[in-house]
Amino acid sequence: MSEHIHYFDAPHGATAVVLPFALDEMLEWWAGLRSRMIRRTSPAFSRDEWAYLITFLAPDHLRAAFTDTFGAAAADPGSSRLTHLARPRGPVALWLPNNVSLLGPLTLILLSLTGNPIRVKGGSHSEDLVNAFLGYIQGTVPESPLADYLSRIVRHEVFDRHDPRNAEMAAEARVRIIFGGDDAAQHIHALPHPVDSIGFSFSDRRSEVWLEKAAISDDTLVSLIKVFMIYGQAGCTSPARVVLLDQPPSAALALRERLLGLWPLARVRAVAPHQTSENIMARQWAAALGWDAQLAPANQAVLAIGEYQLTPIASNLCLPIVTASLQDAIEHLPRNIQTLGHAVHDPTSARWVETLARTTIKRFVPIARMHHFGITWDGFSFWRQAFEMVEIGARG
Amino acid sequence: MSQLLARSPYGQRDDGQLLRELNDLTRHHRSGSPEYARIWPDATDAERLEDVPFVHVGLFKRIALRTKSAGSGRERAVLSSATTSGQSSRIFLDDQSAHLQGESSTAILKDFVGEARRPLLVLDSSRSLAQRREMSARLAAAMSLQSLATEIFFLLHSVDGPDNVRWDVVADVLRQHDDILVYGFTYILWQTFGAGRVPDEIRSLLRGKRIHFIHSGGWKKLEAISVDRDTFDSRLLSGLDPSSRVVDYYGLVEQIGVVYPLCEYGFRHVPVWAAVMVRDTTTLDTLTGDVGQLQFMNPLAWSAPYHSVLTEDVGRIVPGACDCGRSGPHFELVGRLPKAELRGCANV
Repeated sequence: MSEHIHYFDAPHGATAVVLPFALDEMLEWWAGLRSRMIRRTSPAFSRDEWAYLITFLAPDHLRAAFTDTFGAAAADPGSSRLTHLARPRGPVALWLPNNVSLLGPLTLILLSLTGNPIRVKGGSHSEDLVNAFLGYIQGTVPESPLADYLSRIVRHEVFDRHDPRNAEMAAEARVRIIFGGDDAAQHIHALPHPVDSIGFSFSDRRSEVWLEKAAISDDTLVSLIKVFMIYGQAGCTSPARVVLLDQPPSAALALRERLLGLWPLARVRAVAPHQTSENIMARQWAAALGWDAQLAPANQAVLAIGEYQLTPIASNLCLPIVTASLQDAIEHLPRNIQTLGHAVHDPTSARWVETLARTTIKRFVPIARMHHFGITWDGFSFWRQAFEMVEIGARG
Repeated sequence: MSQLLARSPYGQRDDGQLLRELNDLTRHHRSGSPEYARIWPDATDAERLEDVPFVHVGLFKRIALRTKSAGSGRERAVLSSATTSGQSSRIFLDDQSAHLQGESSTAILKDFVGEARRPLLVLDSSRSLAQRREMSARLAAAMSLQSLATEIFFLLHSVDGPDNVRWDVVADVLRQHDDILVYGFTYILWQTFGAGRVPDEIRSLLRGKRIHFIHSGGWKKLEAISVDRDTFDSRLLSGLDPSSRVVDYYGLVEQIGVVYPLCEYGFRHVPVWAAVMVRDTTTLDTLTGDVGQLQFMNPLAWSAPYHSVLTEDVGRIVPGACDCGRSGPHFELVGRLPKAELRGCANV
């Protein structure tokens, strides 16, 4: 595949990005797949996951990876503006856990745009969504340039954490990306690897939703229900807790009543019988431990009102709701906080900027965008780092 | 403590009395167990059996539910075998409950194996008995048969499995007795007596003997090696006296004392001191004839609120009378609620 140079222009200077494909063609390839996906689904994905994947593959959205990173597309900005050349850094190794969510396929899609060879270690106990997605592509558009391209740059294998191929991947990769527990990430990063390689750990994370009463709308709450019900507590970007700021406990009761009333509008997918059964158990568990817990319609979830001090309920679709001052909310943030989904009055105000500066929050986004994956994740510009930057000086 | 225990297990039912006894228990547990009181803060006397508040079976794996009351005597815990989740249920028993439950299981099993007391061979290790404060569900099941036994012989050197059977003990018992009870978990019973491991000497001694094999604990491991019930039964009964039987009973540690043996026609009968409900898995509405989640009730549970338990087993109530002649409701056990893997990121 021949090299293609694309120019992007930003106020501080222009960047030439060298890729092994023409970007417009690549985006068309993905768009072609996307139109097939609208007509034919994959049983491995839930309805919500498939819809998000289709949205994610919109050409403008994929192009934004480049424009958000390097600036606006430019035909040729002129040599005087060129400050950098970006070239693919080299082989990327991607480790995925057994149960990885949509983050696996989304990462793969973004990495496919970098032109780097990608080696993926899938889960050893069950089929992960990356494997399912690659299978879908090969089955749906087998003769397409996209299928051909992916078959050449992506190597997907399944083995366990003790397999020597882990060391092989670490040794050959210029970029290591690990989704997994903290232990797994430490294990992988401890393997011998090139000194000029870089590693990213997308490990055990928790997320929360913070609400200010004045900023709560029905739409916000419907979004909260939808976002939570996709992965429940199992998703690192799912709200593990809702914090109602600067309100008395009675406001939490009112909030729950409002959520329960809005539940039908969220059109939540049917919950599996074993999960509704677990919810019934979780409601009792929470109540036994002092939470004021109530089941959602059709036993689809549990909404539990209480205080920070109460023992958490380890059940996937049990959503705790607490009231707290901003200071308390900050103090009780989990150590591994990732996304803070918000419905607050002015999220870009100095109050919130200062709050974020004092915490380790990685993302501060509207609730509806909590699951949105992007080129910056867990505080790392991992996608940009898949390129090596060459400084170009035109004048002395 | 339960008037119903004086009755024949499959005789005339008095569900009004059962409801009264269950309501007594609900009140008892609400006053003696703060956790239970918080679960059902507004519970009043139920007017129908289906309205008796239940505890979800999974809760016994999460928290220690126990009811304190005066004069309840010694307390010990019965632990279920760990499931795929790795968690065990912990059921607390006091003397009173243990006594009632022993009476119950004896009465039920007598209906299937007869009244005669005889030697009981238990596929477990006597070392399990040394744990005074805790007991495995397997051992508790075995000990519930003790009133049917003249003597009890433990056949395993360790609790780990059937690789260390004390065949010398089996031989001694077989030389002295013609009528014997054998109890074991289903898989262990198969491994010991069904899977071709019986020594020739024992096989010879077994010939013509009258043996009642009683087993419980599920078929998952046997399904994995493609052993069905017919194969299981015929291999165990091969060469024995024709009146020998295999009795497969279903029981939960969370319903200890009330066991549900499979009758000759493939159904499980509910004794007069128990009730079973089938509930829709989503709405929890009670179902008649359709498959749903099974809920069990009994008036024997004084030490913890397991007098009404919603399980994750599924089944259906079978309408009409059973050809086996036992009266009252009977049900078919269909399986368990299917589980699916949770999808997430790195944190599960």
